[in-house]
Amino acid sequence: MQDAIRVAGLCKTFARRGTGKVTAVDGLSFSVGVGQIFGLLGPNGAGKTTTLRILTTLIRATSGVAEVAGIDVARDPLGVRRRIVVVVQESAAEIFLTVRDNLLTFGRFHGLEGADLRQRVDRALEQFGLVADASRKAMDLSGGFRRRIQVAKALLVKTPVVFLDEFSTGMDPILKRSVMDLLREEARNGRTIVLTTQILGEAEALCDDILIINHGRGIARGDVATIKALSTIDNASLEDVFVELTQAVAPGAVDR
Amino acid sequence: MTGLTAMLYREARLRATNATFIFWDVIYPLAYLLVFGVGMSSALGGNFAGLGAGYSEFFLAGVLGMASFGIASNTAWSLFMDRDNGIFYEMLTYPISRGAYLIGKVLFNTLVALVQAVVTVALSAVLLDIDVRWSGLPLLLLAVAAGTAGWFFFYAIFALKIRRNDAFNTVTSIFYFVFLFASSMFYPVDPLPAVFRAAAWANPITWQVDVLRYATIGLGSPATVSLEGALFCIFSTVCFFAALRALMRQK
Repeated sequence: MQDAIRVAGLCKTFARRGTGKVTAVDGLSFSVGVGQIFGLLGPNGAGKTTTLRILTTLIRATSGVAEVAGIDVARDPLGVRRRIVVVVQESAAEIFLTVRDNLLTFGRFHGLEGADLRQRVDRALEQFGLVADASRKAMDLSGGFRRRIQVAKALLVKTPVVFLDEFSTGMDPILKRSVMDLLREEARNGRTIVLTTQILGEAEALCDDILIINHGRGIARGDVATIKALSTIDNASLEDVFVELTQAVAPGAVDR
Repeated sequence: MTGLTAMLYREARLRATNATFIFWDVIYPLAYLLVFGVGMSSALGGNFAGLGAGYSEFFLAGVLGMASFGIASNTAWSLFMDRDNGIFYEMLTYPISRGAYLIGKVLFNTLVALVQAVVTVALSAVLLDIDVRWSGLPLLLLAVAAGTAGWFFFYAIFALKIRRNDAFNTVTSIFYFVFLFASSMFYPVDPLPAVFRAAAWANPITWQVDVLRYATIGLGSPATVSLEGALFCIFSTVCFFAALRALMRQK
């Protein structure tokens, strides 16, 4: 299978005042196949968001290699950004613009315009239940609705790779279910989706492949069944395994 | 060009949500000139500081420099707005280079500054009877555009390095005081005390305002103005690369 993402020996250390250096990512290696839904899981401070920030060109790695869609993130960050779309962890919206203008503005950055852009925006508004609010400014919407705008933007364009950092924050269960269906459809159409989440049921339902990291290193890797098989508990849920592994397993060489 | 035009479109859409601000941006230098300039002109008489020009004529370039300085600081402040709304970091993942992001950020407001300059100069000629040197219009537009962009890059360095909005506001207040008053904006530099004069000559606002003054009323020597123009271009370029570096180091 062709790789959409390849990470080898990735390290990131931050200098912090008073505490010296902090290692957020510590020699991480993994690859993600094209068209997969890949879950990057881990407890708070495990290094998930730092890894995502390196892959999305927001920060540079201290060492190691990271490639997205075959392009080195350090050598050609703009080339990577042309092939990705990112839903960042924080709420992010043009609050003074209407919902529709948020989508139209975003589409232009990806080279969309005219009738094509307008059709895509209309479709996204329908898919995310935003038609009735299309003319409202984002500042007048709740956090959940602003999150809808963020995820709608990700599905407005057709980049090969999608990064979702806690995409379902603030979404109601009905919308979340429909967004998960949309994500599966995107993956079936060949888009690679990388997500982080603390809601393990979400990962269990969506991901073809999971990497659990802790202290910046991989500690478990595989599909849901493979991960569950690592548990000492009978009929363990993904959450059981997650807790067991992140509390008991020393950072090891499960990376591949 | 896609990224740059998308940035221009984005900034225009955002500014268009409040037309009052755009209107005020366009007319405020003229309003300043009409109130402060006319008042000072009346108090000081027709030949200000022996320069052969009234105060309103002298101050026309000053008010244009002040306006581009103000637009630039407001544009840099909007980086905080973007950061507060979370959109700043998301935008850094858009398919646009960091350089195009910075240039695109100030492009629309540079266009506003150009309209502002033309309106101010044209109406000051009509309302204040200022003898404008129309042949200097291309140089005037160049100085306004370079000034707005250059000062934005300067302020962006601080807006990108300072994490707190209130701290940035303090910095801009200090800059307003230092840059505007230790310059040729309100009075000629030559009669000033030596230390004050040296500070004014080292101040990029002086360089920009002197070019604007030469362009609008022909005051100053071409050689000095050329040197000051070149220095301002160097200042803007250095600020652009420093702002770019600060942008690339965002965590």
